[in-house]
Amino acid sequence: MAFYENTIVAKQDLAEKELKNIIDKYNEIINTSSGKVVKIEEWGLLNLANKIRNYKKGFYIHYKFEGNKATLNEVEKKIKTDGSIIRHLIVKYNKLDTENEFFKKDK
Amino acid sequence: MKRKNKKFQKRGSNSLTKLSLFQKNDGKFSKKCPLSVKNGPIIDYKNVSLLKKYTSDNGKIMSSKITSVSFSKQKKLTKEIKKAKILGLI
Repeated sequence: MAFYENTIVAKQDLAEKELKNIIDKYNEIINTSSGKVVKIEEWGLLNLANKIRNYKKGFYIHYKFEGNKATLNEVEKKIKTDGSIIRHLIVKYNKLDTENEFFKKDK
Repeated sequence: MKRKNKKFQKRGSNSLTKLSLFQKNDGKFSKKCPLSVKNGPIIDYKNVSLLKKYTSDNGKIMSSKITSVSFSKQKKLTKEIKKAKILGLI
């Protein structure tokens, strides 16, 4: 088992319900395919540095999870067929740091 | 005594500004790496404010000659900057 971080950029013109569905959907996918979600972060609506598929903003969702090759294949399969996701990135880590949050909202 | 004081002050302030062509350039670049200090900043693709310091306005990665980042940290920086570019953060 190894630790991974998965960030998803969703379209900006999604309703709140659809966003919640996406968050729950990938949470379930990881948990059911022999993985375990450690933490979920919502970075919120951020400006993209350059246009991606004619979108100027994107909704960022960040997962920290533990899993193996089967979970990775499952997640990537689902992301590739998902129409409401613009970009994604999965990075492997030896250790997860759950303390630092770089995109905390200031209220 | 006065002269000595003047020289000392020049070195203390920005020593790269030369007054004349024939003046000896005793300006020294700071050679210490700003990232390999104790409790230094974390190099990560999520730490966008740090990565923006080491990219130019056009989005290019700055060379370590200018920024005086050590070799190992520069390798790490380039990898993290490229990750952030994929996600559209930089």
